[in-house]
Amino acid sequence: MDGRWLPLSIGCAVALLSALGVVLARRPVHSALFLLLHSLSIAALFLCLSADFVAMGQVTVYSGAIVVLFLFVVLLLPGGGRERRAGPQRAVVALVAGAVTLLAMFVAMYAAIRGGAGPETADSAFAVAALARNLFGPQLIPFELTGVLLLVAIVGGVSLWHRQGAERKR
Amino acid sequence: MIALVQAGAQAGTSTAAPLVLLTSACLFAIGVTGLLLRRNPMAVLMSVELMLNAGNLLLVLGARVNGRIDGHTAALLVLVISAAEAVVGLALALVLFRDRPGADVDSRGEVTG
Repeated sequence: MDGRWLPLSIGCAVALLSALGVVLARRPVHSALFLLLHSLSIAALFLCLSADFVAMGQVTVYSGAIVVLFLFVVLLLPGGGRERRAGPQRAVVALVAGAVTLLAMFVAMYAAIRGGAGPETADSAFAVAALARNLFGPQLIPFELTGVLLLVAIVGGVSLWHRQGAERKR
Repeated sequence: MIALVQAGAQAGTSTAAPLVLLTSACLFAIGVTGLLLRRNPMAVLMSVELMLNAGNLLLVLGARVNGRIDGHTAALLVLVISAAEAVVGLALALVLFRDRPGADVDSRGEVTG
């Protein structure tokens, strides 16, 4: 048992509790703030798993950009995007679906959970240089394609907004 | 579940794997529950983000367990994809619900163009 056991457990607990907060908070602003806590705790877990660069990406891209974007949109929605309470039928369906998913994943992962992990890999194997060699070597085409994906997403978002505004003015 | 984690610890292997596996599974299940429970499009999108995070956690754990860096690369790509998904999803949510006070994914909305 190495020294990362404690931060790892704390990170897992915070991630789970804040995920519950995202789902259960009544106001979307609170959900977005819980999502911020969640993404930071996931970044901490990445650090514990010696994924330094991914952790940094999680903090800057996820906590810094995506969650802030969520907060902006929540503030733009009328009434802060308040919603009506979910009926009992909806809650039952959601809980059953969640339980079935959990069961399915538990069954699928049973062997892995039972067997534990193999020998620990040295942290040096996950240095940023190694990641860069992989990202710009074998994975170059997927990496370049993400640029196209981002461009398409930006154009899509802008055009959705523009066309809808034009419709409204007519 | 706790017994399983302890079994993993006693086997002399890394305790990180079972714990993170369980966390990831629970996070994904929470995301599915939220996706179906909430009516607000924002909360639905946030539940999707929870599920993406659970998947990312599993990718990074896989990289550590197998000693291969590919998992980190895949996690970075998932990060980019979730950013793109958030942009389009939020634009749709804004277009559909900016005039209506009770945002509800079950109600009919109209997008033209």
